[in-house]
Amino acid sequence: MLLTYLEAIRQGIWEEMDRDPTVFCLGEDIGIYGGAFKVTDGFIDRFGPERVIDTPIAESAIVGAAFGASLTGMRPVAEFQFMDFIGCAFNQISNMVAKTHYLWGAPAPLVLRGPSGGYVHGGPFHSQNPEMWFVHNPGLKVICPATPYDAKGLIKAAIRDNNPCIFFEHKYLYRRIKGEVPAEDYVVPIGKANIARQGRDLSIITYAAMVHIALEAAEVLKNEGIDLEILDLRTVSPLDREAIVQTVKKTNKVIILHEHSRTGGLAGEIAAVINEEAFDDLDGPIVRIAGLDSAVPFSPPQEHHYLPKVEDVVRESRRLKAY
Amino acid sequence: MGTKKPKSKNSSNGNRPRNGRVGPGLRPGQVERSSTGSPNHDLRTYSIPDYRLEHPDFAVRQAIETGKDGAEHVRYEVEGDLDAPVPPVRDSKYLDKQQSIEIYRYMLLNRKMETALENLYKQGKVVGGVYFGLGQEACSCASAYALDKDDWFAPMIRNQGSLLVRGFGARDIMMQYMAKADSPTKGRDGTAHFGDIEKRNTVSPISMLGDLIPVLSGVALGARLQGRNLAVMTYIGDGGQSTGVTYEGINFAAVQNLGLVLFVESNLWAYSTPSEMQYRCQDLAERAIGYGIPGVIVDGTDACQVYDAAHEAVERAHRGEGPTLIEAKMMRMKGHAIHDAASYVPKPMFDFWRKRDPIARFENYLVKNKKWLTPKENQDLIAEVEAEIDAEREIAVNSPMPTPESAEGGVFCENGCHEIKPKYGMPKVKKGTSGFKQTEAAVHLK
Repeated sequence: MLLTYLEAIRQGIWEEMDRDPTVFCLGEDIGIYGGAFKVTDGFIDRFGPERVIDTPIAESAIVGAAFGASLTGMRPVAEFQFMDFIGCAFNQISNMVAKTHYLWGAPAPLVLRGPSGGYVHGGPFHSQNPEMWFVHNPGLKVICPATPYDAKGLIKAAIRDNNPCIFFEHKYLYRRIKGEVPAEDYVVPIGKANIARQGRDLSIITYAAMVHIALEAAEVLKNEGIDLEILDLRTVSPLDREAIVQTVKKTNKVIILHEHSRTGGLAGEIAAVINEEAFDDLDGPIVRIAGLDSAVPFSPPQEHHYLPKVEDVVRESRRLKAY
Repeated sequence: MGTKKPKSKNSSNGNRPRNGRVGPGLRPGQVERSSTGSPNHDLRTYSIPDYRLEHPDFAVRQAIETGKDGAEHVRYEVEGDLDAPVPPVRDSKYLDKQQSIEIYRYMLLNRKMETALENLYKQGKVVGGVYFGLGQEACSCASAYALDKDDWFAPMIRNQGSLLVRGFGARDIMMQYMAKADSPTKGRDGTAHFGDIEKRNTVSPISMLGDLIPVLSGVALGARLQGRNLAVMTYIGDGGQSTGVTYEGINFAAVQNLGLVLFVESNLWAYSTPSEMQYRCQDLAERAIGYGIPGVIVDGTDACQVYDAAHEAVERAHRGEGPTLIEAKMMRMKGHAIHDAASYVPKPMFDFWRKRDPIARFENYLVKNKKWLTPKENQDLIAEVEAEIDAEREIAVNSPMPTPESAEGGVFCENGCHEIKPKYGMPKVKKGTSGFKQTEAAVHLK
């Protein structure tokens, strides 16, 4: 069936709650309201208020309580109304949840999920992509799907995973893209990238909303004889190093594209990986396309300037192809 | 001691009147609160039960004094009645002879273990520092003693005695301090940072303060979803309770009516910061009013009072009546850690609280007052505890250090290293009535 990205996530969580009585949801306004973006619409009627809990505005308590419940064998799915607010729970996530298994052997099978990303004129506190703070923290899995199929398969995988998974849903994609999603139960493995587009000339390594920017650029460039390969990482941590190496070996030229700001961004990490494992396969420098090193501004022309655009990918691809 | 010092100038830090002293003729503990002072409104009165048999009333202030050399020095001075006589231990409503002796034994183990740790530190066998709960043994041991085996628990750094009550050995704590391979964290963390979610229902603390409170609340939530009303007990200091996560955690437990038994250990000093500079309310138990939950004050050096309050709170939790905040008043009798001589603490305060040593008080109560132990039995008990600590010490000291490579691995739970099952049984859930319907979310906007 054809589902929007949002509906796919909603269905994924619903099916897991149906299948496994230990799964429950907590977050702000997720109950009767159904969630700020309606991801949990209808859940409280179907599953009851015990399993769909409206919390006070207290992100540290949301994460802490989710962790505590997971210690008794439950599988909580905690929502951040906007992933921008994940900073309010930073200590709980980085020092309590991320380290618990390594330090004293207690697994934390919880999922922290919520909407991230720009392109919706949300301003600096409703447009962030804060995933790098958690990529840099050992013990957490960081997942950023780009398609409805992946979104549903990965939310299920995250719920079933015994480790803390932070699931970044791109809010621009929520209702703007639709995709085929099988009716039967399926899971997309965490830590495995996907070739979104086979190509010969250049690899774009990217994820989330940027996959669609890259796909648009590919359509422009194919008329110029530049055939882009697009690798959708799907999981940002752990990185699929093998897939990254394979695409570099195939095209020998790489652009890394991410929406979040350039400095300290994922492109630096991937460039280091390529340097370690596929240096000899490079026929040109590794190119980064990223957001600016600033907060995401509010006014549409400013936000447009901040965010990566199709023309950035087109321009850099032409430049790198000619190298 | 007789020289008259020039009156020192008070600094503004922590030098504001504490909330509650409104109107003349009020008995200690009786307060009237009015935020406007105007008589044209209804006055709400709240009560906080206070088990204590004394109400020490003194205040610590920063004072600026000019020395003989003309230089200014800022130090703490204490004002108030520090000569009050030591009250008796209050008879417990619940404890029998055997239980009282058991609690006393744990307190002795707690004290002797910390003495052994101090000696190990001086012998250079400890990695890092040592944290003491000297003067707080009654609070640690009597509180944990009130829990059922199935209840959950999380210690703070100074509650090492409570870990013994919950079934850990002194060797576990010693190995943690000595960073040994067989420590409960296999060397990966030190001090009381360890737990056991399988047998002893203990959650490991982290160094940041207050974070255990929402976590333990979540434990109670998870258990309730599986049909059990558990009591979940943890601690926070008068300093630690200043953090935001403390507020979020207690409030969450209150709103969700979870069985959190929170001991606020008012030991008067957070490292070098006196409680007057941590909060402005009269007693931290009053915070309970703000959360909408019962609060109670106990003398933290009186094991019977601690136990009674803990017992009642645990029973409330089991009945599904929600959280309780228990403020235990005492003083931290050493510095923050072994390196800290606590010279900032005015000496009269040490004198006051030394007379209230929880072990000495309880010993006196059991031997002289209740005559539940003869002097010989008491000596035998002390000797037996010392022998146990010696034996544990031997085992801990002789155990190996970890290999360097043992630092690797275990970042993730993978390859079936844990099978995660609901601990109290599969939750009973609503049967599916409404099928999955695509809602407005399925509308495709472009």
